[in-house]
Amino acid sequence: MLFRVDPNSTVPLGDQIAAAVRRAVAEGAVAPGERLPAARVLAESLGVNVHTVLRGYQRLREEGLIELRRGRGAAVTANASPQRARLLERVREAVADARDLGMTEDELIALVRGELGA
Amino acid sequence: MTRKNLGRATLAALPFVLALIVGLVVQLTVQDRLPDRLAVHFDAGGSADRYMGITAYLLYGLGTLLVLGSLWAVFAVNGKLYGRGRSWLIGGGFALAAFLGYLLITVLLVNVDAPEGGPTDGFPLWHVAVAVGAGAVAWPIGALLSRLAPAPEGPDDGDGGGAIRERIALADGEVAGWARGIGAWWAPLAVLALLAAAVAVGRDLSWFAGAPLAVLALVIGTFCRPHVTVDRRGLTVSGLLPKPRLRVPLERMAGADSRRVNALAEYGGWGYRVRPDRSGVITRSGEAIVVSLTSGREFAVTVDDSATGAALLNTLLDRQRAGR
Repeated sequence: MLFRVDPNSTVPLGDQIAAAVRRAVAEGAVAPGERLPAARVLAESLGVNVHTVLRGYQRLREEGLIELRRGRGAAVTANASPQRARLLERVREAVADARDLGMTEDELIALVRGELGA
Repeated sequence: MTRKNLGRATLAALPFVLALIVGLVVQLTVQDRLPDRLAVHFDAGGSADRYMGITAYLLYGLGTLLVLGSLWAVFAVNGKLYGRGRSWLIGGGFALAAFLGYLLITVLLVNVDAPEGGPTDGFPLWHVAVAVGAGAVAWPIGALLSRLAPAPEGPDDGDGGGAIRERIALADGEVAGWARGIGAWWAPLAVLALLAAAVAVGRDLSWFAGAPLAVLALVIGTFCRPHVTVDRRGLTVSGLLPKPRLRVPLERMAGADSRRVNALAEYGGWGYRVRPDRSGVITRSGEAIVVSLTSGREFAVTVDDSATGAALLNTLLDRQRAGR
């Protein structure tokens, strides 16, 4: 899959790598079960630190989009559907918007709770 | 199967079928004069040292010729060979069938009226020379026949043309990389077979021959799940370890295309192939990134989503030419 990062951007590189994978899943460019390049390979390819790539991968793992297995590398999980990836993207946008508005964490969570309860 | 394919398959299998028919006719003619146990294997002096029942021998010969015949037919149809490769396939098939057919039939003939312990004269070794000769005679016949049959057209080399080559829009300063695995299901099997051969050769002959084979198997083993990367350094195919790897730097590229390649017809097989005008890592027939080098040669890697990889290569090439 295609990874693009912009070293001049204010977004951390690890987040940019995570965003690239999320985008690829959302667009259906990578299918569930597909392997991502090993962190070392990707780091050399993009000219970034291995730990930066791993931070991005770790973030995707927390979101349930990929699984990291020792010795087998990173692979897109079976339930990483394009819809799920798109939902994650929207959640990130919502959080970013809330921060721009100066909302606190509790205020945003209260908003989401309210929506869930409706 | 189309009529053309049928023709190709028939021509490729023909020598094996002929050898089979001649063998069966000979068998039927001399059947009554054959001993129960045929001498089928001879030492360097030509005396028999292994035996086989008539039925077993018949099945053995039949099986060998049938398997080889079908193999050649499959190659002729699926290989989509053209030009020299095609006449080599057909000629080679004729030669092999003549060589094997001659030996299989001669073994029958030397057993005619033979006593229990094997033929008295043994198996004169000049028969082997004659078998080789028969193969040498059959080769050009096959090659000639292959020219009479309708030849499939050579693969379209595609002039590419920079105009139709896709690009990926990259912002200034943006760094892009593309990576994809190209695992082939047969690679671990090939490594196992090679390791087994290494052990067999090491134990039966000498470890001086076995050890290099084992090392080769291990090197290929690191390439069981290779991956292809496209980035500012060029196109890289690497295995499990950082080295060995294959890399074509951007400086040596003229352009990249995504097109379908045929493993047998264009590269004569699978694996890391080097041909006079092209080389490549070929794990299957199908889509591939084909890089035109400044030297006029081509380097190909069979990989899924090759269009994205080729587009990124062209983008990176543009960038390099623009001096960014």
